[in-house]
Amino acid sequence: MRPPIPPIPPRKSQYGIDPSLVKKRVCELPGMTSVLLKDLFPDLPEVIYPGGEGVAAVRRATEEALRKVDMSRIKPEHSVNILASHHGFTLLGGEPYAEMLKTIKDVVEARTGCKNIRLRAGVGLRFRETEEYIKRFGLDEYFHGKAAGVAPIDEGIPIETEIGTLYGIKKVYDADWIIHAHNSDVREVHFHRQVDRAVKPFGMSYARIETRSTYHQNLGPRAANFTARAIFDSPFVQSKFAFACFLMVAPNGIMGVDADNDLYALNDRVTYLGCRYYGKMMTLFGEIDECIVALDFPCPVVYVFSAGVIYANFAGANTDLYDLDNPLPGYTWYTEAFYGKRGRPLLDDVPPLNPAIKMCVHNYAWTGYPSAFFSEHIPTVVVGWEQAELFNRDPQNLNYMKHAVVAETTEAAMEFAYKVTGTRKVLIFDGAIGGINLSEPLAEFLLKKAPAVSERVENELLPKWLRQRGVDLSHLKQ
Amino acid sequence: MKVVNLLAVVEAEKCKGCRTCERVCPVLAIKVVNRKAVVDAARCRGCAACEQRCPDYAITMAKRDEPVVVAVSTEGLDYAQVVDLCRRARLHPEQIVCYCTATRAEEVAAAILRGARSPEEVSFMTGARTGCKVECIQPILRLLEAAGVTPAPPKGGWQWYGRTPTVWEIPEGVKQKYTGRGFYFDEDIKLLNRVIEAPLQGGSDS
Repeated sequence: MRPPIPPIPPRKSQYGIDPSLVKKRVCELPGMTSVLLKDLFPDLPEVIYPGGEGVAAVRRATEEALRKVDMSRIKPEHSVNILASHHGFTLLGGEPYAEMLKTIKDVVEARTGCKNIRLRAGVGLRFRETEEYIKRFGLDEYFHGKAAGVAPIDEGIPIETEIGTLYGIKKVYDADWIIHAHNSDVREVHFHRQVDRAVKPFGMSYARIETRSTYHQNLGPRAANFTARAIFDSPFVQSKFAFACFLMVAPNGIMGVDADNDLYALNDRVTYLGCRYYGKMMTLFGEIDECIVALDFPCPVVYVFSAGVIYANFAGANTDLYDLDNPLPGYTWYTEAFYGKRGRPLLDDVPPLNPAIKMCVHNYAWTGYPSAFFSEHIPTVVVGWEQAELFNRDPQNLNYMKHAVVAETTEAAMEFAYKVTGTRKVLIFDGAIGGINLSEPLAEFLLKKAPAVSERVENELLPKWLRQRGVDLSHLKQ
Repeated sequence: MKVVNLLAVVEAEKCKGCRTCERVCPVLAIKVVNRKAVVDAARCRGCAACEQRCPDYAITMAKRDEPVVVAVSTEGLDYAQVVDLCRRARLHPEQIVCYCTATRAEEVAAAILRGARSPEEVSFMTGARTGCKVECIQPILRLLEAAGVTPAPPKGGWQWYGRTPTVWEIPEGVKQKYTGRGFYFDEDIKLLNRVIEAPLQGGSDS
């Protein structure tokens, strides 16, 4: 068996405990190993990052992708907002995304003569998160003091759409042109279901609370994905949209960079790649019959990564998250909303959280996303009183520790989990790049299951998933 | 229901009186007086919106010595009225509308039936929208509208701007135009209608 892959290190942030308090990573414990994703799915793409060239490969790929983009409408006297989102900075340490943003600025400046180029970086529910990334990656200096984090409670503007008025963040749109700089990583597939994934930030990280609440409360679990399209298609946004540039991500790393003046063309490519590569990982994880989950990554509970899959997705992996005929995964906010006062779903056909998860060891994960639903329904052990106290001070997580217990050390938490659950299968969400850190019994299990999963996705599931989204594979190949 | 265990504290020497805190506070608990932000401790619901958006980092969140429990009970109200209001807003009474505080539609409805006339009053009474500050504005506005209340956004504030469409209001033409792209409008309407009509489970609010 292979040794574990070095996990993403703890990161200093107001949303997490001090990195010095993370004394032990779960992958360092006895019995842990790793599996390379290419050993599970040999058809996963070759990646440019990680690689020998480092982020220079990302710069070159961005320059190459932007060559085919028409920038002729941007004039030297204009202003341009490059729109970014927090999520990109959580991918493979964040450097690749930061490098893509810097390269877009350089290329636009060189091609158009425009100097007034700003960075506007949206957030999820941690309103200062991108401020932290802007500092960490030197983006403020790079954009000559014109880099700003924007939040959904900042001043807004109405946007007239074909379904009515929605609201965007004013600072996102305060330039002549906007460039949508995002990534294809699947992340919240439980919400977006790989429908208009490439468009989503227009209804989320670039949007005001009214719009985000529309997505999560007004439209339903699948129709919600129309929110972003409604905004993007509005005459207002169309009048400012210049082009999109995406870091193309697979579970095993950065495949390359894609750019297009036509966001929907790019969206179809993202849909195909997302369904194919992440669909296989997700389907494989859905095969796991029992395990202990270990959270060990600098992100909120739901967003910790393993093989490009986040904990929130694994918590719903008992259903096919890509099959749109399933209205609700085991976890989305709609699902959570539909639990009544006795703690049971209001409808009998609401699926439970993934019953394969026997216990969650929360070794290191951040606050800043409402996560009490998880500790309420999955036995959870939090490592360290400092971490427990941090959650007790988070307005979004005042109920998290009501349902969790505290262990003083990582070792004690894992011993407790082994004893109580009886399983030795451990899946670690620590952002290991190119592979998965896990226990030996689970490694053997996944290696055995992967070939059949790959075949089923290629031959049976992928054609159905693409059909449900109206993506024509023959058109894509052209 | 929310246990309010934090309180915004202003460092006066850092505050430049820009009013950002005033504009984002969901319960109108902070105001700029004589060019300095002042917190009304009795109103503050500990959401940290002001702390998170202050451009001068002049606000911190302190732990309260005595946490304050805010909740609106349905007891003493005609529960049929609570149910009726929720269903007119197309919500199940037990449906969670604020994921951070686990506030259910019935509690917001109870606050409205007890006199809340704005999202700010609902948040002050129930604690809803004082966690992430983002996701629950629409059900609150829908419940107010269903009660015949038309609140105005706080003058000059950024707290909220307006109610937005629900899936029941999507024009047929839009549904037709985007059919086959995975939005499943009518299927989601059916799902949400089933939830609204689902039986009550009852039991305690906790």
